[in-house]
Amino acid sequence: MSAALARARGLAKRFGPLTALHPLDLDLAAGETLALLGPNGAGKSTLLRLLAGLARPSTGTLAIGDASASRPARRAAVGFVAHATFLYAQLTARENLELAAKLYGVADPRARAAALIEAHDLGAVAERAAGALSRGMAQRVSIARALVHEPRLLLLDEPFSGLDPRAAERLAERLAAQRGPERAAVLVTHELARAAQLATRALVLVRGRARWLAASALASTPALEAAYRDAVAALERTP
Amino acid sequence: MSAFWAVLWKDLATEWRSRERFAAMTVFSLLTVLVLYFAAPPSLDVTRNYYVPGLLWVAYLFAGVLGMNRAFAAELENDALSALALAPVDRGFLFLGKATASFLILAAVQALTAVFFALAFALDLWPVALELAAIGALGALGIACAGTLLSAIAVRTRARELMLPLLLLPLLAPVLIGAVNATTELLASGSLPWPPVQLLLVADGVYAIVSFLCFEYVLDE
Repeated sequence: MSAALARARGLAKRFGPLTALHPLDLDLAAGETLALLGPNGAGKSTLLRLLAGLARPSTGTLAIGDASASRPARRAAVGFVAHATFLYAQLTARENLELAAKLYGVADPRARAAALIEAHDLGAVAERAAGALSRGMAQRVSIARALVHEPRLLLLDEPFSGLDPRAAERLAERLAAQRGPERAAVLVTHELARAAQLATRALVLVRGRARWLAASALASTPALEAAYRDAVAALERTP
Repeated sequence: MSAFWAVLWKDLATEWRSRERFAAMTVFSLLTVLVLYFAAPPSLDVTRNYYVPGLLWVAYLFAGVLGMNRAFAAELENDALSALALAPVDRGFLFLGKATASFLILAAVQALTAVFFALAFALDLWPVALELAAIGALGALGIACAGTLLSAIAVRTRARELMLPLLLLPLLAPVLIGAVNATTELLASGSLPWPPVQLLLVADGVYAIVSFLCFEYVLDE
């Protein structure tokens, strides 16, 4: 493990009277993959959007990378795969990747897009409009888009949804390969087997309240399922 | 600056492929001129009737509002607005790219409408074509700058198609006053009047600077 890539203290988000995320402390070191688990409406996507810099916290502090970094510099450290694909429907898959590369200041956007198309096996759909792609294909382009600038912190909101088993397995392999001393990932998933396979730590959220799982919970899928059930039950009892 | 060019290219490319905004704005604008043509008596001397250039600007203004309502339509699909907001650039340059694309589309609609207006009312606009284009461009710039900022705000609201005109039309009063006065005096006298052009320049400058600076916060949730 190396220095913290993300550091949150008392991070909370409210939407009017609704508390989407209760104050949370979080340190995410390079080399880690954090699994964010929880039922629908638990606040997982809210936490990801806070980490991505898309939303401002209601209270608390959040630093991504260097605490004194500017907001654009913090955004440069993050790659985000969300529920929505972030793709422009009128542009082709290749144009979407080139556009992202330009927005992230990649030196040679065309070459980078070509490399991502090759790496993600998107050659057959590269010249097709993103709006005409199947959900699974669009998801693969979306994942390639998030990696266009080789982010240090990768945020993944249910990245396996819409993927066929082979594509899901390849994505899991790719995410495992992405791990490195300089990078970290936050993975939101309902697939506990994937979480057990990929994560080094796990956090369960229920109605915006968080509980960390012991490292031993990630030893196997049954162990994670049991720990997850216990954590959800405990959090649901919390007033 | 690469973000500016990237967003400008993206907006023009998506518009070229769909032609949604241009078609809607042009049809609306031409229909307005057509209604004016049928409503006007045959003896009407357009150059001596001060309300006629005003009606031309009504066509421009509402076509502009129609276009600005669609300025973030591409970003609504697949939450591409969040993708823009994530870009590690000064968001002011994203604003400039989007506003420039809207300006170019609106300017093209204005040019077509002006030609149609001249044909409908048998006007010879060639002697004042450059001046008229300058006034049109200044008006389009104001609409594009204020419209892009407010459209980015309205696009996240539930009643966005109602919200934008409510916010934008009062704000565009200085642009409309300057543009209508300048066009009226230009058509009547054949020369470019300086005071209304000054008003246009100041309004455009204020809208451009304020929008550039505020865009960083507008894209936050």
